[in-house]
Amino acid sequence: MNWGERWHAHAARSMEHPMFVPLYRTRARRRLLVAVGATGLLVIWADAIVSWYIAPSDTAVTVNFVLLTIALVCYLPSVTALNAATRGLASLPERRLDERQIAERLRAYTVANTLMRLILTVVTALVLAAMWGDGPAARVPGAAIALGLIAVWLTHYVLPLLVAGWRLPDPPPDDDPGDEQ
Amino acid sequence: MAEEPVFNRIAVLRADRGVSRRDLAAALGVHYQTVGYLERGEYSPSLHLALRIAEFFEVPVEVVFSLKPFPKLGSTS
Repeated sequence: MNWGERWHAHAARSMEHPMFVPLYRTRARRRLLVAVGATGLLVIWADAIVSWYIAPSDTAVTVNFVLLTIALVCYLPSVTALNAATRGLASLPERRLDERQIAERLRAYTVANTLMRLILTVVTALVLAAMWGDGPAARVPGAAIALGLIAVWLTHYVLPLLVAGWRLPDPPPDDDPGDEQ
Repeated sequence: MAEEPVFNRIAVLRADRGVSRRDLAAALGVHYQTVGYLERGEYSPSLHLALRIAEFFEVPVEVVFSLKPFPKLGSTS
């Protein structure tokens, strides 16, 4: 077994760990996790916008640090728990998923693709509108461009997982001793 | 297009044979939750998986799956 396979096997086993179950047991909790993850993304977008107006400056560095910390505190636990809830639906390679999981992944990717198209349309329109004319907003600092690209990349990367977590139905009730969620 | 329901008797057959969800899932090569979703009728299997489920229980596929609800135990129809 090569390193990639070992990593995926380890990831698949980790996602079955009962430690995460209380975090995603109910649909309300899973949707709360999605909301927290989406908040983390929004904070990164907000950081890019703030940097556009105040970077480069010492204040911008402090604001970046605070906002990125808030974003990570929201993003990392919610993404970890959602990966466990969906059993790696959006992160494991297809050969490690069964046909139901692959079908659900395709649905999640379809919805996420539509959402991403809407997000990119809105962002493009807002950026073009803000840069219109010759005001200070027409000059974009490098930090804002970098944070904007990170926000786009992270949103594109995690949106299928958020969609899958939002859609996930409650698993069937246990009828076997080992059938914990 | 709305998905047409496919009814099944996997839970009945599994209970009758004393097979756990995990054992059935392992035999079919699917996640054990998938067996639960199948039993609940929330997922309709591919033809390939349906045939493998029937093969596992050693019954014709129409014994396990139907487009109409199966009669309840004890009913005359």
